Formats: sequence, structure tokens, C-alpha cells
Amino acid sequence: MVPSSTARQTGVAPAPVDSASGPEAVDTGSLLAGYELGAAYDEMFDGELQARGHYQQLAHLLDRTPPEEFRRRKAMTDLSMRQDGVGFTVYRAEEGIERVWPMDPVPRIIPADEWQQIEAGLVQRITALNMFLWDIYHEQHILRDRVVPPQLVLQGSSFRREFVGVDVPRKIYIHICGTDLIRAADGEYLVLEDNGRTPSGVSYMLHNRQVLKRVFPSLFNDYDVLPNDDYPAALLDVLKYIAPESAAAPTAVLLSPGMYNSAYFEHSFLAQRMGIELVEGRDLLVDANRVFMRTTRGLRRVDVIYRRIDDDFLDPLTFRPDSVLGVPGLVNAYRAGNVALANSIGTGIADDKGIYPFVPAMIRYYLKQDPLLNNVETFRPEVPAHLQHVLANLDTLVVKRVNESGGYGMLVGPASTAEQRDDFRRAIRANPRDFIAQPTIQLSTHPTFVDGRLEGRHLDLRPFVLCGERVVVTPGGLTRVALPKGSLVVNSSQGGGSKDTWILANTGRT
Amino acid sequence: MLSRVADALFWTGRYLERSACLARSVDVTFSLDLDLHGVLSNPVELEWNALISMLRQPPPPPGDGEHPVAAVQRWLLVDLGNPGSVMACVNRARNNARSIRGSISPQMWRELNKLHWRLSDGSFQAAVAQSPHDFCEETQVGVLLCHGVCDATMSHDEGWHFIQLGTYLERADKVLRILDSKFGLLERGDAADLPVCNLQWGAVLRQCRAYEAYQRLYISRVEPERVVEFLLVNPDFPNSVRFCLERVLDSLTEISGRLPGRSDSDAMRTLGGLVSELTYLDSEELDGERLHGLLGDSLGRCGRVGQLLQQQYSLQ
Repeated sequence: MVPSSTARQTGVAPAPVDSASGPEAVDTGSLLAGYELGAAYDEMFDGELQARGHYQQLAHLLDRTPPEEFRRRKAMTDLSMRQDGVGFTVYRAEEGIERVWPMDPVPRIIPADEWQQIEAGLVQRITALNMFLWDIYHEQHILRDRVVPPQLVLQGSSFRREFVGVDVPRKIYIHICGTDLIRAADGEYLVLEDNGRTPSGVSYMLHNRQVLKRVFPSLFNDYDVLPNDDYPAALLDVLKYIAPESAAAPTAVLLSPGMYNSAYFEHSFLAQRMGIELVEGRDLLVDANRVFMRTTRGLRRVDVIYRRIDDDFLDPLTFRPDSVLGVPGLVNAYRAGNVALANSIGTGIADDKGIYPFVPAMIRYYLKQDPLLNNVETFRPEVPAHLQHVLANLDTLVVKRVNESGGYGMLVGPASTAEQRDDFRRAIRANPRDFIAQPTIQLSTHPTFVDGRLEGRHLDLRPFVLCGERVVVTPGGLTRVALPKGSLVVNSSQGGGSKDTWILANTGRT
Repeated sequence: MLSRVADALFWTGRYLERSACLARSVDVTFSLDLDLHGVLSNPVELEWNALISMLRQPPPPPGDGEHPVAAVQRWLLVDLGNPGSVMACVNRARNNARSIRGSISPQMWRELNKLHWRLSDGSFQAAVAQSPHDFCEETQVGVLLCHGVCDATMSHDEGWHFIQLGTYLERADKVLRILDSKFGLLERGDAADLPVCNLQWGAVLRQCRAYEAYQRLYISRVEPERVVEFLLVNPDFPNSVRFCLERVLDSLTEISGRLPGRSDSDAMRTLGGLVSELTYLDSEELDGERLHGLLGDSLGRCGRVGQLLQQQYSLQ
């Protein structure tokens, strides 16, 4: 049935078809048979269902791989994830607290030239964001020049007025950034979100590669894939770089909320790969503005903290007094320059969804350059003209709450009910500043193994940027894929999976 | 190292060992139970109740028509309502390891995690109703794998020594309890009971994985006095109390960073005293009464060492 049209449909040579007929014949059909394109940009195929240049070998290999074989590899992937305990914890779900994050074995491939553009755009963006943070916590030029509306910053819930005038080590606020990129229908990469607080996901990027190499090595045969394994070492370089100068051999630690945090796997993974201690708030104490950890041989001084705890919970004396995760006195130790924090305190204002529309203007303001990566068009209901547009087009827009993340508190217009739209309409009218709205972008699709064959599923890309002595963008990133058909929400907490992400070397091969 | 990490390593070792010891006891009792059917009228309650009281665990809550032996096996192996069951111990070991998974090797974490998932499997657990053997065997092999991987992949540094502390302290405690529960048998020299007695002492050896090692050393029938001597003071066998406590003493010495025999900590004094008593014990003198006293005293001192460790390293 299907095999005869395979060649035309997928633009690759048809799989050799067994002469046997009957039910077995279906099993020998191609994984890609009947692959459908939607309105979105497809990473592997062009509009004529021809594999794009850098995907040709992979499409060919998939076409030759029997579905049963692929199913077996996928099961090996799942088992491996489970045995390694590569899980996350789900909030607001009743199905138990440990879940494995599924990895799809079909890799996402980005050619060298595309990656170079992405890389340059990310470097430009983090540079501007760090200049913005230094500025708003010091002279506030950008506010005085009205490039960014002052009240958006000064009244933003993640602006830390306690930190105005504080000099952070090496003038860096965001040391680790995970920027979410999506592709529009024409294939252009757009920035959806900057995550400059405590971005997660890098461990999955690293782990996915290790698993894929183990369970599906033949995929790598035709490609020169840049390794991503250097990330932990590069992160450690950053942590050492920001250590107080008084520390000759600085001690860095990773501060985690503990094993019930959704990203605990990542915390332990990174701590182990860097060889530093993973500490919890109760392991640390502050004495005379210096930070120590409790060890079996007494107290030991701590110089740098890679903290994976939000500002709000960091220090009950300064922020939320009910926090049991933090360390009393830590903020004062930081202000005194006796300990360094990555990321710094107060970075949340830079990735605030209300500030996001102004990042291109920041780039022009501080760097006198045009942005290399564009934002998604964004409406701010706070602006009266925008408010009209947003309220009139709720069924086509995506509406986000400024202070929520993780895919919570969102309205995806085309998938919403009238009742949900009414709720949002009321909420937007009441507090227009709490929302932004964007056109529903059909995130690009990619062949993904579902129910025994490959189907297009939407995905995004989160590359990881490190900012220390220089800015380093690890080749690759976390590709998150929305597994339910048609879904545009890729978050792990909302039924997403992930893929290995390949950046090709500039060697001429493929 | 962090005190919290040391604590979790200690308990990882301890709970792993506890689950393996319990699985072995259940397996051996199950097998002994089948043997005793031929020689005793009602061996079932005797043996299983003895096991429960040896473990100082509460008996299973009265079930709804479940065969009493099956109920005990399920209670001891898979019931999470019993905090001392094999499954509960493996879960605790895993939770401790998980809270510090950056401080153990990834390979060790993986083996422990695999063990957890294998034992958690619903149909695997259900098969316990037919025979507990597979579940017990899987547990023991899994724990042995964890030990092997731990030794082969981790630096034998402070953290590793905390795992050894937990492992060997727990093992010594369990061997002492097994002997203590059987000392009454020494009193009875009745020839008519001989086959039963042999089965019983054979089971004691098997519970300590010592049957073949014992045979190899003594080349004789299972004789109670020799079994006690072997399990208590043999210097070479890894499940003898003396061997275990010597390992504990070694690890304590390494952790303290002092020369052997030079520490002034209470834990080392308590332990050192016990080890030298066992080392120079005249086993000829061990009649039932004295043995009982010695075992009780040793158990008490092992418990004391555990408490002193918590104080000294501020383990929670």
C-alpha cells in the first residue's frame, strides 16, 4: 500500500520491499511513508517533501531502517534513561513525582553556517542583556533616555532594588543563559524567551548525546557532529573566573533545593561533572559575612556558589522569610564581596516577559548594532492600541502572563475554548501590564517517532550561553519537542520530550 | 566532605546491606521450611515467627484469607507498609543515594537504580506468592553488584569509607542477631533432635552465606560450636563478626586521619575493645549461657558505635 509512493513522498530512495504480501509487508514499509507536512516549517523536508541537503543521509538511513528495528532502539533509549534515573519531578500532576523525560532518537541537525549566525546572535544578545543589567542597577541611562519605560523596570516584580549600586564581580550578571529559539514558517530563527535566572536543560543536552551514541551509533556514520561535552568544564571556568580575588584556590559549590526539585538530576549531574560539592541550604552557614559548609572535618570556606535556587528563596533574611531552602545571611556575604553567585541576584528583570519586547532596542542602544536574531512580534496590552488588537484577536494569539514560566498560565488562542478566552479577556482588562501577546507561531516540525512511525512534531531549541572571561556558546542545545499531535507546548512539565541536537562541523561533508 | 553527604553514604551502605541480609534470611527460611515439613509436625509458625522476632519487626497485620506464610513473606519482602521490608530498605538506600548521587560513581547509582526498578515491577512482586526465591535472589545479586561496582569505580576515600562503615556495621549486627536467635539450640543435646538441629545450624550458615566456606575449613558435619566460632571470630571470612568489625575499625581509622590504634574517639575505643575481645576469645568456653551474654553485649556495643558515629560526624 504505502511503499509504492515512498519515493515521491519523501524524496528518498524507496526501501526494498519484500515480495511477501500480507500483514508483514506493512512492517517492512518505510518509517517515513505517508509523512505529512503542515503549515509550519519542517526541519527535514522542503515543501516538495524533498529532504533538505543536510538531512539527506539521515532521511535515507531512516528510510532503510525497518520500523521494528527502530522501535527496539527507542525502547533501549527509554530503558537507558530510566536506569540512569534521568528524571524530573512534575508539579501539579498526580502521577507520582518521578518521571523520565522521553528522548526521541531522531536527531535534529543544524548546518554549520546556520549555527554561526545563531551563535553570533546569542553572543550579541547576552552582551546587551548584561550591559542592561549593569545599567539599571547603576546609572539607569537607558531609563532616562526612555528607551525602556522606567516603570516597567522599577515596578517589575523581579527588579531587586536592594541591589541598586552593588558592584557584581567582573560586571557580569547573567553567567549562564538558556535562550529559547523557535523557527517561523519561513525558517527564520526567532528568540522566544531569554532565560537568565536559573535555566535548566543542559544536562539533557549532554546526556541525550551519550545515550544516542550508545543506542544508535550508526546514525553518526554520515555526519561530522561537533561534540558538546566541554560544557561542564567551561562552566567551571566561569565559576573560577568570578571568584573573589582573595581566594587563591577558590572553592565552588552548586546550591540545590534538594532531591525533590524538578531539576535535581541536572544539579547532581553538573556538580559531579565539575567535581564540586552539591550543597543544600542547610549545609551552608554564614559567619561574619563569609560562607562556610559543614563538613566531617569542620567548617570549610565557600567562594563561589552556582545557585539553582531562585532569588526569592535565596536568603530568608533579605527575601522570602519563609524560605527553608536558602541560607540566612547569604545576601550580605555577597554584597560584601566575600562570595560570588552565578547567576547574580536580580537578573530576573532581564528575562521578564514585559521587558522582552525591548531587547532589540537594547542591542541598538548599547552596541549600536542591528539585532542578528529577531524577537517574535509582541503586543503589550498596556499600550491602548495593542490592547484593542489583543482583545479582538484572542483566538489567534498566544497570551502569556509576564510572571509565569514553564508553560503555565498561557492561553494558546487557536486551541482555546470560548470560556478560557473570556477568563483571559477579563484578566487582561484588569491588569494589562501582567500580559503580553504574540501571534501563534507554528513552531517548526521535525520527524519524531510516534506509534511505530515518524510524524511531524513541533519543537524549539534552547542553546546554552556561558559568560565569563569570554562568551561561550556550546555547540548544540536542548531541542524540546511537543509529543501530542499538533501541540505547540514543548515544556517537559506539559508532555514534551527532547532530541539530540547536532551542530555539523564546517568540513564540507553534507 | 559534607556531613550530610557522609550521613547519606553511611545509610546507603547500611540499607543496602539490610535488604540483602533480610532477603537471604527469607530465602533460607523458605527452604528450611520445606525441609522441616518432613521431620516436624508444625514447623511453619515456629520458623517464620522466629525470623520475625529475630528481626525485631512487627508481625504482618492479619490478612484476609491469605495463607499465613505467604502473608509473612509478602510483609517481609515487598510490603511498603512495613518500613523494614526488603523493598522499603532498597527504596531508602536509593533515596539516600539519590540525595547525593553526585558523590557516588554514576555506575554505582545506575546499578542501585536498576535494582530498584527490577524489584518494583508489579508482576515480579506478585510472583513472590508462588515462591519468594527469585525476588530474594535478585535482591542479593543486585546488592552484590552494587558493592562490586562501588569498590571498582569509586575512589577509596572518605566517602567510600562511610559506605563501608554502614555496610559492615549492619552486617555484623545481623550476624550477631542470627546467632543470638539460635543460641537456645546449643542447650539441647538430645540425639533425637540431631537431624533437625543439623538443618537448623545449616540454615544459620546459609543465612550468613557461609555454608561452603565452613565446610572447606572444618571438613566435617555442621557442629553448633564450630558454626558459632566460625561466624563470630574467623579472621578471614567476610561475613564473620570479627571480620566485619575489623573493617569498621579500619574505615574509622582512615576517616579520623590518625595512625591505627591512636584515636581517642569514643566510637573507636568502644569498637576496638570489642574487636580485641573477639580476637582473643577462647571459644572452648562458649557454652550457651556465656554465648548469650557475649552476643547481647556485642549487639549493644555495635549499637553504641552507631550512635557515637552520629554524634562525632554530626550525621543526622
